[in-house]
Amino acid sequence: MNTIELRNTLPAVFAGREKNESEVWLQNLTFEKGKHYLISAESGTGKSSMCSYIYGYRVDYSGQFLFDGQDIRSITVPQWCEVRKRQIAYLPQDMRLFPELTALENIQLKNQLTHFKTEAEILPLFEALGIADKVNSPVAKLSIGQQQRVAIIRTLCQPCDFILLDEPVSHLDETNNRIVAQLVQEEAQRQGAGIISTSVGNNVKINVDKEFKL
Amino acid sequence: MKGLMWKLLRKHISTSQLIGFSIANLIGLTIVILAVQFYNDVLPIFNDEESFIRKDYIIITRNISSAGAIMGTSAEFSDEDIADIEQQPWCRKVGRFTSSKFSVVAAIGGGSSPMIRTMFFFESIPNSFLDVDSTSWHFNPQRPQVPVIMSREYLSLYNFGFAATQGMPKVSEGEVSSVPLNFNLSGNGHYDMMGGRIVGFSNRLNTIIVPDEFMRWANARYGTGEVQQPLRLIIEVNRPGDPKIQSYMDAHKYMIAGDKMASSKTYYLLTLVIIIVIVIGVLISLLSFFVLMLSIYLLLQKNTKKLQDLLLLGYSPAQVSKPYVKMVFFINVAVLVASIVLMLLARSCYMPMLREMGTKGGSIVPALIVAVVIMGAITAGNVWAIRRKIKSLWIQD
Repeated sequence: MNTIELRNTLPAVFAGREKNESEVWLQNLTFEKGKHYLISAESGTGKSSMCSYIYGYRVDYSGQFLFDGQDIRSITVPQWCEVRKRQIAYLPQDMRLFPELTALENIQLKNQLTHFKTEAEILPLFEALGIADKVNSPVAKLSIGQQQRVAIIRTLCQPCDFILLDEPVSHLDETNNRIVAQLVQEEAQRQGAGIISTSVGNNVKINVDKEFKL
Repeated sequence: MKGLMWKLLRKHISTSQLIGFSIANLIGLTIVILAVQFYNDVLPIFNDEESFIRKDYIIITRNISSAGAIMGTSAEFSDEDIADIEQQPWCRKVGRFTSSKFSVVAAIGGGSSPMIRTMFFFESIPNSFLDVDSTSWHFNPQRPQVPVIMSREYLSLYNFGFAATQGMPKVSEGEVSSVPLNFNLSGNGHYDMMGGRIVGFSNRLNTIIVPDEFMRWANARYGTGEVQQPLRLIIEVNRPGDPKIQSYMDAHKYMIAGDKMASSKTYYLLTLVIIIVIVIGVLISLLSFFVLMLSIYLLLQKNTKKLQDLLLLGYSPAQVSKPYVKMVFFINVAVLVASIVLMLLARSCYMPMLREMGTKGGSIVPALIVAVVIMGAITAGNVWAIRRKIKSLWIQD
């Protein structure tokens, strides 16, 4: 997948709104593979909605999203499964970890689907993010910040053309923010992937090619 | 992957609900297939399928009214009567019953001290109406031994009446050929004793049949030589159910012998009872199916978030359904096997009784097919429901 395009898109809840100052909604714009984008927004402007539309699990919008020119409404369920396994790596804002599984099991659940990283490659990521001692702890026992780091590792365990991050560092300190930015950029560079990251203020410290205000 | 998926998805599985479903379905399915099996096992008793006489024969007698008996009206069939029957379009051929015109005393069992000694009689019909092995169905005056076909009623009478009250052993049809049988034949100045052998039992021939050649020989030797017209006729017809036959018989005051009418009523009632039992069984199965359905829906509802999160990771709906589909499959196969075992156990309890009535029982294949079909339908319904529910989780608006 080389491009993700938005054509005159608008979440259904915003329909009928009089003024539109957004640089995303009701605009035509294209995200290209290999480039880094930041979508900065205030709370409640629809950034999580945008992510869920791109990831195909919500359809309550008007206008079009296109993958390489194909309207994503025409993508079938099996095709979406392939997109989620091989083309778009997604970190949801609410992380969607399984609290009853350990941190490592959460990662394995994704990695067993993609067979992308070996355990020897995964464990150094725990090390780098300072949660090596939490590998075998149930996620329910981790703090929000620790959970966010586990979710980031999981996001990196797949081949992709785009990395879609919804507020990836909202619960992280400056140091961890930098580490996350470095890991994500390294992975993106290795795969030639684009990065689309949203933020309400605490931006992940990546080099940005273009910033949109939502 | 399997381990982790199951670890996640087994949560909220209610063992008690699944056990409840299994027991209910086990009861329902067992009732259904046991009813089917019982029907199959009992059916041969009602079907007059026997080896000696084919289905397209009917036996008729004259209707004896009390007035006729006083007036001395004969119960015999005259040659004109027979000729008239032979001309009917539904008639293929007519055979006459020949009665014995001499005295017979039978001694059954025990050799020198027989268990039963009784007056006896014989009848014969032309061999062409019988379907018996010719090597056992013949008579040689040089080495006299009389083969007989008896009404099955007589065996029942002995087993359930005589043997039961006199403390004598019951005899099965298989054992009956080993029971010693002796006939004392007398008349016309002759007195002979000869052995006999029961070659089989008949539901349709309500008499004691001996080979025609023996009858001719014996009537000549012991009888008076007087020719008697037959009291009963056996008729081969084109179609036994033909209403023209019945109206002809009514018009001439003839009766079609045998328990055909009574047995068809019993057969009808049996069918009705079996259908009612099957319907009850199916209803129980159906209710249990809904219990399982409800349990699965509840389970999927409680696990909705997890299932959706798995879909977001890239697991397909089929992969996510799989643990539940497998679970349902294993439960249903276990119930299927258990119900077949229960059915066979129950069958082994009632079969000895049926064997005494002279049937070996029917095939178990139809019951097995019914069991597999019902369980297959239930499983398919369950799997369809699981898949549908999980598909509905795909969009999370």
